[in-house]
Amino acid sequence: MKLPPITKTYGNRKVLDLPALELADSTIHTIIGANGSGKSTLARILAGVLKPDDGRFSCMDRVGYMPQRSYPFRMSVLHNLQITGAGRERAMKQLETFGLAGLAHQSAKGLSGGETARLALARILIEDHPLLILDEPTAAMDVAATLLAEKILLEYQARTSCTVVLVTHSLTQARRVAGQVFFLQNGHLVEQGTAEQVLLHPRCADTRAFLDFYAL
Amino acid sequence: MKTAFVQALALITSGDRQLGIILVTTLRMALSSSMIALLLGAPLGVLLGSYAGRGKRTLVVINRTLMGLPPVVVGLVCYMLFSGVGPLRHLRLLYTVTGMVIAQVILLVPLIAGSLESHVSTVAPDIRETALGMGLSRGRILLLIINESQYQLVSAYLLGLGRAFAEVGAVSMVGGAIAYKTNVMTTAIMNYTNMGAFTTALALGIILLAISLVLNAGVALLHWRLEG
Repeated sequence: MKLPPITKTYGNRKVLDLPALELADSTIHTIIGANGSGKSTLARILAGVLKPDDGRFSCMDRVGYMPQRSYPFRMSVLHNLQITGAGRERAMKQLETFGLAGLAHQSAKGLSGGETARLALARILIEDHPLLILDEPTAAMDVAATLLAEKILLEYQARTSCTVVLVTHSLTQARRVAGQVFFLQNGHLVEQGTAEQVLLHPRCADTRAFLDFYAL
Repeated sequence: MKTAFVQALALITSGDRQLGIILVTTLRMALSSSMIALLLGAPLGVLLGSYAGRGKRTLVVINRTLMGLPPVVVGLVCYMLFSGVGPLRHLRLLYTVTGMVIAQVILLVPLIAGSLESHVSTVAPDIRETALGMGLSRGRILLLIINESQYQLVSAYLLGLGRAFAEVGAVSMVGGAIAYKTNVMTTAIMNYTNMGAFTTALALGIILLAISLVLNAGVALLHWRLEG
């Protein structure tokens, strides 16, 4: 999938200025970078919920997008899944997969941060999407829940052969799941390549400095 | 003061006819105007709160200005429209409960819309982004926003109802505070006070306070039930 050059400006501040990119089919792409590097802005533009400077960005239909602050709707946990159009049986099975079956009939508003994040991921992964965009889906999860979420995501990707764009602050997560890695800094693409290439043998000094800072 | 209070309670429990008519007129006027204002103001508030395009700030500023409309100004405008020389004189609305309801609706719609707009503005962006990511339609997103605003919807209605009960300026100008016809509790309190009938005025004041207490207790109970 070829993406055109993307820029996004708020007032006088250009928060994103990317060249044309290519997303490889059936691959998990991880976007890494510090706060304010433009990761979430890129994810929102790819998902079609934010317009870039030059107007509407057309990616493709049926994009699945989990925003950074995914909203638990005021209804039961089960209904939060069924609102996607999934049947009760399928929704229950999905909740079991995510370890939330015991909370099915509770209000989603009463869940903890980690449970809410699991619900949000379960909700987006209940449908098959050709392109899946996840903005820090495991940020609120503990280690066990994070590893479970990664396992489910890898299985989902293998089953559906979808293209995944995963925004993460966790470099270890990027190493575990990513095929391709994009490193952003101040809205610019600094380096891209395979996970091994970018995370273990970076070419750019900025990438090395970022990785050294996080002591990978 | 204590004697007047005791006499007022006695008047309330005696089933005084005039007091009963005032109470019924007040309930008729307040319930009708607040319900009509909810039907008009709630969709306006939800749409304004969930709208994120150009001109939103201007619309919000206009609505907030209307929220501060002086009741006597609304009363004056309605009086001029409905009076014998006004453009709507053929409707014969001056000194009627319907005319009072119209004046109240003009006052309450921005209030209810503004109350909902401020809540919806805070939750709508996250709901919209989440729902769009799930591929839900715009109509479905609007329903989700309304579902998330249940408490604020009832709270906004009760705010409007409380205001309708307490308002005096517009209803006295449009209704004329005619005994057995358009006299409501607030205008009656003014009239009875001017006549020196403090016991009756105090009795009406107690009923108004009791209504306010019930409304606020209702809001608190609802909040407790919805928010846990």
